[in-house]
Amino acid sequence: MAAFALIWWAASVLTDNPLLLPSPQAVSAAFAGLALDGELFTQSALSVVRLLAALLIAFAIAAPLGLAMGMSKRFEEFVDPVVELLRPISGIAWIPLGLFIFGVGQSLPIFIMAYTATFPVLIGTVSGVKSVDRKLVRAAETMGLSQSAIVARVVVPSILPALLVSLRLGVASAWTAVIAAELVGAPNGLGYAISWYREMLVTPKMIAFIAMVGVCGYFCDLALRLLAARLTPWAPGAEARR
Amino acid sequence: MTIDLQSVRKEFVARDGARTPAVEDVSLTLGEGEFVVIVGPSGCGKTTVLNMIAGLERPTAGAILADGRPVTGPGVDRGVMFQDYALFPWRTVAENVAFPLRFGPAGAGLSGAAIGDRVDATLTLVGLAAARDKYPHQLSGGMRQRVALARLLSYEPKVLLMDEPLAALDAQTRTILQDELLRIWGQDGPAASRRTVLFITHAIDEAVFLADRVVVMSSHPGRVREIVPVDLPRPRNDATRADPDFQRIAQHIWSLIKNEAYRAATS
Amino acid sequence: MNARLLRMATLPVALIALWEALGRALGGPRTPLPSKVAGEAALLIMSGDLPAALAQSLGRVFSGFAIAAAIAIPLGIAMGRLRAVERNLDPVIESFRPVAAIAMLPLAILWLGAGSGAAVMLVAYAAFFPILIHAVAGAKGVDANLARAAATMGVSGATLARSVIMPAAMPQIAVGLRIGLAVAWTAIVAAELAVGAKAGGGASGGVGQMMFAYYAYSIELNRIIVCMIAVGLVSLALDRLMRFALARAMPWIET
Repeated sequence: MAAFALIWWAASVLTDNPLLLPSPQAVSAAFAGLALDGELFTQSALSVVRLLAALLIAFAIAAPLGLAMGMSKRFEEFVDPVVELLRPISGIAWIPLGLFIFGVGQSLPIFIMAYTATFPVLIGTVSGVKSVDRKLVRAAETMGLSQSAIVARVVVPSILPALLVSLRLGVASAWTAVIAAELVGAPNGLGYAISWYREMLVTPKMIAFIAMVGVCGYFCDLALRLLAARLTPWAPGAEARR
Repeated sequence: MTIDLQSVRKEFVARDGARTPAVEDVSLTLGEGEFVVIVGPSGCGKTTVLNMIAGLERPTAGAILADGRPVTGPGVDRGVMFQDYALFPWRTVAENVAFPLRFGPAGAGLSGAAIGDRVDATLTLVGLAAARDKYPHQLSGGMRQRVALARLLSYEPKVLLMDEPLAALDAQTRTILQDELLRIWGQDGPAASRRTVLFITHAIDEAVFLADRVVVMSSHPGRVREIVPVDLPRPRNDATRADPDFQRIAQHIWSLIKNEAYRAATS
Repeated sequence: MNARLLRMATLPVALIALWEALGRALGGPRTPLPSKVAGEAALLIMSGDLPAALAQSLGRVFSGFAIAAAIAIPLGIAMGRLRAVERNLDPVIESFRPVAAIAMLPLAILWLGAGSGAAVMLVAYAAFFPILIHAVAGAKGVDANLARAAATMGVSGATLARSVIMPAAMPQIAVGLRIGLAVAWTAIVAAELAVGAKAGGGASGGVGQMMFAYYAYSIELNRIIVCMIAVGLVSLALDRLMRFALARAMPWIET
């Protein structure tokens, strides 16, 4: 890590052009300055709140749909072709059309992220339901549980670990998509800030915001890992994750 | 509870429509409080027979009666212990044992405290009181097996259907659990207090040690080859295993399935 | 089997018909319709615009992907086998990994201009991490006895890495390559879109910029949708191609 900082510093001295490659000190100073006046946090908070809203939407769509697709072969045959037709079209490819529909604002990044996160969650749920241990379902049947009790008490807890993993995948890809969406079509947020400072040619601040993308991405993932350890203490590796 | 199988036949239909008979013309009666063990080579349909009694599979032909009434599906009067235990990995030991009482009809009318008491009593019976808050993945194979037994006993089914419950255990744990199983079944007490048990295994010594009668099955399709009565005195213990009668019965059963077992092992 | 095909076709056909009907009944002159999309697709393909744009994007994806693989595979194997390398590099890798590739774009434009250079760099950055992580995991997961067996035959060092570790790690690396290629394609579309949006028209080319131009300069929604479908088809084709190539090159692994 120290070697990396040293290389960066040496490169910045050699380039001798703070517009192209500001020194580590300049970037740290910019980071501190943005943190002190709060701009770093307001922009990050906007992006993160959008991420949470999009995740909620994606989860509300994908989890019940995936549950139904996993449990009914017939239903899956109806819905799966549409899913497979849409899935290869990345969320990012929706940006131009989304811009036209939603305009520049909150809705576009939320739409793009929700779209992006829906597929991993859906696929994780479907494959989770399909790999539910048949024996557990049968065991519950011999204990006289009703079908709805089996779904609530056996199927849902069975797929929870897979669901949480797919949620992490969804967050990772949605986070990439939101930066793209904000870069193009949002009046604020991290992606917007990065592109704003590039146009202003304030490279240290731009790099500070790029770093903040990583920081937020890291903490979102960490939060989901903690949530998983909390919700699924039985899953393998849960103790190591705590 | 008594169980009656009358000329039961089961075919499996493959995706291409081909029919394979798995079980052919099996007739068998489990008497009240009787401990019956089925042995046979793999592929002899013993698990299918158990699943049909449990109501998890339907016979293609013939009838299965429980106390004279036809079996139409799973029910809490017939409890199953599955081969690899089928414990719910997201529930602790105590929560697994409480599961059928909390979410199934067997616990209807029981208060939370009453369920708790029943769970504690059952865990003590199988010697697991200390592990009550562990998750299944933290337990050894023998302990998991005890949890499965406790979960089965907790809701007091009248018939216990056990599908190779000891197969995955090492030899010593197996011997210990065979003794315990007989104790919990009530071999020391009066015959009237015992529950009906159908137990599946491929180990002949285990079958002879546990059973009142051993049902020897042959494969392709599964049929009853012979029903061997085991008249060794109860309670049975280590001395039983050394009894010449024990050896004689085991030899006899081995002679019945030897040829098929060799064929299965070399094909 | 036929009933199944019928069920599978129902919803897509119904949705497209609904779109066409609603669009005709309620839409204005600009409302995209499936029939118009099909017409525009034919036009864009005939004129060569779409194939040219796709070819440009694909060229960038392949160069960026090749750069990423060339760095990530050896580096990943070194990190997976040599503790010292992993200890030193892992913190750097882990601090860059959560930085979304797109966030690097402005930096890439700053350094390399708004042309192919920035796009290729972005693709390489995006594809680098999945390949690296799978290569590390693959190299770590190599059966210790394989390396020991090779050692008893006198094979060691770089020869060992090339002749034992890499083939044994290949199933994992193959997964990384597949994910990497998919990520690369997503990244190129994003990069071209954003470059198109930020650098003004004409500078970058590629299918992403083509889409953005239809949004920003001529509002041709039908053509945007043609591009979206093309992006999806290419993404499917790339994955198929990758699987086919991997299966051909390494018949001993399952993909």
